[in-house]
Amino acid sequence: MEYLLAAMILVPLSVGVFLGLVPERFGRAPRAIALATTASVLMMAAALWVSFDGSSARMQFELVHTWVPGLGTSLHLGVDGTSMPLVFLTALLTLLAAIASKSVSDQVRRYFTLLLMLEAGLIGVFVALDLILFYVFWEVVLIPMFFLISVWGGERRRYAAVKFFVYTLVGSLAMLAGIIALYLTTGSRTFDFMELGPLAAALPASTQIAIFAALAVALAIKVPIVPFHTWLPDAHVEAPTAVSVLLAGVLLKMGSYGFLRFGPQLLPNGFAAFVPLIALLGVVSIVYGAAVALMQSDLKKLVAYSSVSHMGYVMLGIASGTTAGVLGANVQMFSHGLIAGMLFLLVGAFYERAHTREIDAFGGVAKAAPVLAGTLVFAAFASAGLPGLSGFLGEFMVVLGSFAAYRTYAVIAAAAVVITVGYLLWMLRRVVFGPLNEERAGFPDMTGAEAASIMPLAAGTLVIGVAPSVLVSVAGASSAALAALIGG
Amino acid sequence: MTTMPVLSIIVLTPALAGVLIALAGRGPHVPRAIAAAAGTICLCACAWVYATYDRAAAGLQFIESVEWIPSLGISYALGVDGISVPMLLLMGIVMFTGVLASWDITERPREFFALLMLLVTGVFGVFAATDAFLLFFFYEMAVVPMYLLIAVWGSTRKDYSAMKLTLFLFAGSAALLIALVLIYWQAGAGTFDLVTWAQTAFPPEFQRWAFLLTFVGFGALVPIFPLHTWSPDGHVAAPTAVSMMHAGVLLKLGAYGIIRLGVAVFPDGLSNWASLIAVIGAINVVYGAFCAMNQADLKYVIGYSSVSHMGYVLLGIAMMNRFGFEGAVFQMFAHGIMTALFFTLIGYVYESTHTRQIADISGLMRRTPLVAAAFIIASAASMGLPSTSGFVAELLVYLGILTRSPLLAAIVFTGVVVTAAYLLRMLGSILLGEASPAVADLEDPRPVRLAPMLILAATIMVVGIAPATMYETIRSATGPLLILVTGG
Amino acid sequence: MTAPADIVRLLAPELIVALTGALVIVIDLLRPQVQNAPRTRPGVAYVGIAGLGVAGGFVVSLAGERGDLFEGLVLLDPFSTFFKLLFIAIAMIVLLVAVDPLPRFTRWPAEFHALIIWCTLGHMLLAAAGELFTIFLALQLTSLPLIALIGYAKRDARSGEASLKYLLLVLVSTAVLLYGMTLIYGSLGTSTISEIGERLAGQSTIQPVLALGLVLLLTGFAFKITAVPFHYWVPDVYQGAPTPVTAFLSVASKFAGFALALRIIVTGLRVPLDWSLIFGVMAVLSMTLGNLAAIRQTEMKRMLAYSGIAQAGYLLVGLAALSERGVASLLFYVVAYGLSNLAAFTSVIVIEQATGSTRIEDYAGVSSRAPLIALCLTISLLSLAGLPLMAGFMAKFDVFLAAAETGLAWVIAIGVVNSVISLYYYLRVVWQLYVSPSCRDEARIPVQVRPGVALAVCTVGVIVIGVLPEPVMRLTEHAASALFGG
Repeated sequence: MEYLLAAMILVPLSVGVFLGLVPERFGRAPRAIALATTASVLMMAAALWVSFDGSSARMQFELVHTWVPGLGTSLHLGVDGTSMPLVFLTALLTLLAAIASKSVSDQVRRYFTLLLMLEAGLIGVFVALDLILFYVFWEVVLIPMFFLISVWGGERRRYAAVKFFVYTLVGSLAMLAGIIALYLTTGSRTFDFMELGPLAAALPASTQIAIFAALAVALAIKVPIVPFHTWLPDAHVEAPTAVSVLLAGVLLKMGSYGFLRFGPQLLPNGFAAFVPLIALLGVVSIVYGAAVALMQSDLKKLVAYSSVSHMGYVMLGIASGTTAGVLGANVQMFSHGLIAGMLFLLVGAFYERAHTREIDAFGGVAKAAPVLAGTLVFAAFASAGLPGLSGFLGEFMVVLGSFAAYRTYAVIAAAAVVITVGYLLWMLRRVVFGPLNEERAGFPDMTGAEAASIMPLAAGTLVIGVAPSVLVSVAGASSAALAALIGG
Repeated sequence: MTTMPVLSIIVLTPALAGVLIALAGRGPHVPRAIAAAAGTICLCACAWVYATYDRAAAGLQFIESVEWIPSLGISYALGVDGISVPMLLLMGIVMFTGVLASWDITERPREFFALLMLLVTGVFGVFAATDAFLLFFFYEMAVVPMYLLIAVWGSTRKDYSAMKLTLFLFAGSAALLIALVLIYWQAGAGTFDLVTWAQTAFPPEFQRWAFLLTFVGFGALVPIFPLHTWSPDGHVAAPTAVSMMHAGVLLKLGAYGIIRLGVAVFPDGLSNWASLIAVIGAINVVYGAFCAMNQADLKYVIGYSSVSHMGYVLLGIAMMNRFGFEGAVFQMFAHGIMTALFFTLIGYVYESTHTRQIADISGLMRRTPLVAAAFIIASAASMGLPSTSGFVAELLVYLGILTRSPLLAAIVFTGVVVTAAYLLRMLGSILLGEASPAVADLEDPRPVRLAPMLILAATIMVVGIAPATMYETIRSATGPLLILVTGG
Repeated sequence: MTAPADIVRLLAPELIVALTGALVIVIDLLRPQVQNAPRTRPGVAYVGIAGLGVAGGFVVSLAGERGDLFEGLVLLDPFSTFFKLLFIAIAMIVLLVAVDPLPRFTRWPAEFHALIIWCTLGHMLLAAAGELFTIFLALQLTSLPLIALIGYAKRDARSGEASLKYLLLVLVSTAVLLYGMTLIYGSLGTSTISEIGERLAGQSTIQPVLALGLVLLLTGFAFKITAVPFHYWVPDVYQGAPTPVTAFLSVASKFAGFALALRIIVTGLRVPLDWSLIFGVMAVLSMTLGNLAAIRQTEMKRMLAYSGIAQAGYLLVGLAALSERGVASLLFYVVAYGLSNLAAFTSVIVIEQATGSTRIEDYAGVSSRAPLIALCLTISLLSLAGLPLMAGFMAKFDVFLAAAETGLAWVIAIGVVNSVISLYYYLRVVWQLYVSPSCRDEARIPVQVRPGVALAVCTVGVIVIGVLPEPVMRLTEHAASALFGG
């Protein structure tokens, strides 16, 4: 079983490299190859999910192999209840992104090469249990993302790609510095997460704070927590649809996952010092993201800012230090992956038809394309936290959990739902309802490929919303353990 | 009591029907047939619950409980007492009649009925839930389809109204969410079980503020005075069946919530705020009545009359005595049936006349005596004339007010007078005189459209003439509640 | 006293390299001349490569042996073996790459090959030298061919200018070096490095004359390793020299400087001076100034020149650590940097062959004209920038860790920041390759077999070492421990 983890990284990576290197005549159907690859990765993720023991908070399917003993680093993989859902989410969203990449016509092979490499990197980040390995994957994600945005993106893609790159790079170098500092101060001569954990936890608080500060910069940029968020709207707006899906669906989770992984388990005292700040910024993100989303005239920007807002809940949940809050953060991560994926796919579908994303350029779409419009309504409500869908559960648990520690924040977070509903409804009103905009008269309804990429996500939100135990049974024990660490 | 999960049948049948309808074909026949079937099942089940409910025994009956999210102490727990049983019956009737009243919907019947069923699920769920989270879950579930039903199938500024309604209700539910979280932590029992909460002795200071939060949260739906402005707009814009549900049942969700979560859990909170609630209730009654007086649109008249009538419910609660409580619950039932009848009738008239202006309609008595008779019965109930259900309800509330404050009774009485005035004015205008050109095509309803009118009118009369069963049912729950509030 | 037969046996690699150079010229003379026709002459290059290969084989076969010749003038230990192999490998790659572009700037390819080979002989001797004046001789043996090589493009004025500059540099640095050596010899009475070390170890204070001698000695090397503030010659010479020579210069010459510096500093300079601080400052200055200057460059070779200055800074970090671990990390960095830089230069050469330009803006659209070249160049640049999965990442990381153990946190901090800066200009090239719209020519860039092979070897090496650095690290640790007497 543990070799599945390695396979989930190696398969997309090697297929990606193969696709990138073979001459044109041997790689005629890059999309089909990519689909087959991502589908098999998804199956592996599903197999892991099924055989995952949710009652244990320990690492499972651990795989240790020597790598560079000289650097004290080894190939150490494993998943716990926090990373397992994210691994699955990555596999799912990459497959759907590959399906949604049907319209990519320029340099197709290269595109799918990068997509597969991205998948390998993302899964690697979530399963790596060695800090160097983690860092390697963290950086590996950066490069394909940069190219995917800068080559296949929109009009201002270069600006957006560079901005994305610079932000994340500054972050990841801070992270590297933090990792080296960790190595130095513990004197452990190993980067193994499990071995380093107890040693790092024993460091004096001031050291922990300094090291965690370095790590936190990288993570906060990725999440992104306001005020580190400004790269996100640009990157989202310019990225091609499938890439936006992965960006919002999975990349942002790298940050929040990092907080969970490095904070309580590695540097508990350092993390503790930042918890109030994280909570505060989480709430600020919630409100600010929602408020700014309210003002957007571009559909994609609206969804992008809504991501900022929704990731704020994750941060607040993490900072709460309660089982409910941390579990809520986990649920919200997974749920936001599904919902943001859905929304971006829909925005992409709208853009492909109208070649504009201006909200005011639509109107009455429900009349021309009822299924598409209906799905947008569904996605919007999922995002707004409609009960029975996953988003509701995540946000509820976060508010519930954060209440014990941060009453005011929890109240604000709960009240912010009104703003969320506000911008989503207002968007729906201008896009879906009302009189049909004449330019949109021949608006085609949802195609099969679009349905194939969007509907699984809709089904996922529904399943998690109605039967959260599917997710909770996997993430529960780990969340409780983490919460015990954070909450002291 | 029983091994058959009758409450689950009531709650889940519409949900299942909704799914089936969503999968059905495009034509109107299959969806409405499924909806009607579901309506029949639910109505029968509700009637069965009403009939077999053990009035001698206090407390919850027909209990079902399945763990849902154990780590948070959330369970799928259903159960009914003397307050929820009448509400279930009310909903059963309104649902069944609402489906029949929507028989002639031609615009996207599939989506309409599917959403309607979702709405119904939510409402049933609120009335049957004994877990606060579940209650909240269903509560929000009822709000969202409402938005779509109005936004897509409504009339007269539907976008604006739908938006306004949803934002008000979401603001309310944000307050509720906060309240819920607050209580959860304060109770410290790690559960959302309402019975456990009701048995917990919360500190008075906490009760005071938590009650207020609950009151405002649910009050938005009642609607209590300053928060009422969405309500008439919503009524007017909504399609017939939705208006029926909305005025007939949804408003009761608010009042029900105040009793279930506010009064039962925070008896001290109620005593603290009773006078405020009384004042608001009085304002609702009088202000609503005066507003109704000035309306030219039939639906607005009934919309404001609802504001007015819901004031009685508030007054009844605020009196904190036997009659007050009984009257409040009775009024919820009575008003629900009566308003549903009103909206059925107005909807029927509107469908053929395409106007709701009082000035445009006259001489209904000649064109269609059946409809006219139903109008008269509804108005009689609304005015609280004897032998209608409204009489019993208002009488009880008045008794309650009189024993507490004759001055308040005098003030409220002006509301009764004004109500009589505007209803009689309306009746005189639309029923009497020569048939206006608008009503030229109006005919007696077909059986399928007549049935709801008959059922609703019959209910008004039956409950009005033989209120004992209903009264006993209600008393079995308000009795213990009163003991809780007055401390024995 | 070593027997003559043993001397021949132990010096076999050097002798073979020397003979190979001669053989190349002789073979070329024997071949029929075609007047005024551009001559590629791959044959002589192959002879050279084969000869170097044989020499490499002998180096490997002698790897287990340790000892010294001529009473400590030439040393044979894993450290020298490591560098000898490295220099041979570099020379082989450069020969392979240089074959095709040679006709562009000369009619005398065979001599070119011979000069590279002889220069390599000098490098090998430098790595093995155990005595100051042997070092001096070996340095001359490398410098003279380089002067000729840099000016090899006779028709290009810039090449001549570069050659002249290099000549002046060699003169100055040699003078400085020689003066330093004399002062040291004068104060200590010995010129053998190990003896210098022994004598210095006993001294608690250091005479001013000796101090001056040491400073001058190190200054001479600093020129070679292109560390700030002795880097001024680098950009002009790199830009002016024929690109294959630049490639050679940027790795072999720099590494020879490091080999020497390591040998002298570790075994010789046991004096109470804070070498760590001195090299730390030099490292920081090189990194920062090199990177900042590289940002502004619009010409690929100049950019790589400045990047080389910055990379020398990272190498100096390993030196500043002044530990066995630090030296090992430096040696590993040398391998990683060598592979990356050679891959980068090979790509530059191939593109220059087709477009005639080394300006960065002319790289636009290369990704569609030569996808594999673009990919290799990208990988090599990303490796130079220190991104994971490439050798450069492991190397930088290793160096930082070594420095961290010695407590050079400030150097690491600045080093990390510098990585960000460097990524900017490396990526600008990548950007041109992939993102910028192709401006003019859409024709495919042909890739000949020879540079293709060299490029593939280097690029694959970059990735293999980046993913599985362990074998090379063992090697470098072995070499480093030999230097520390282990």
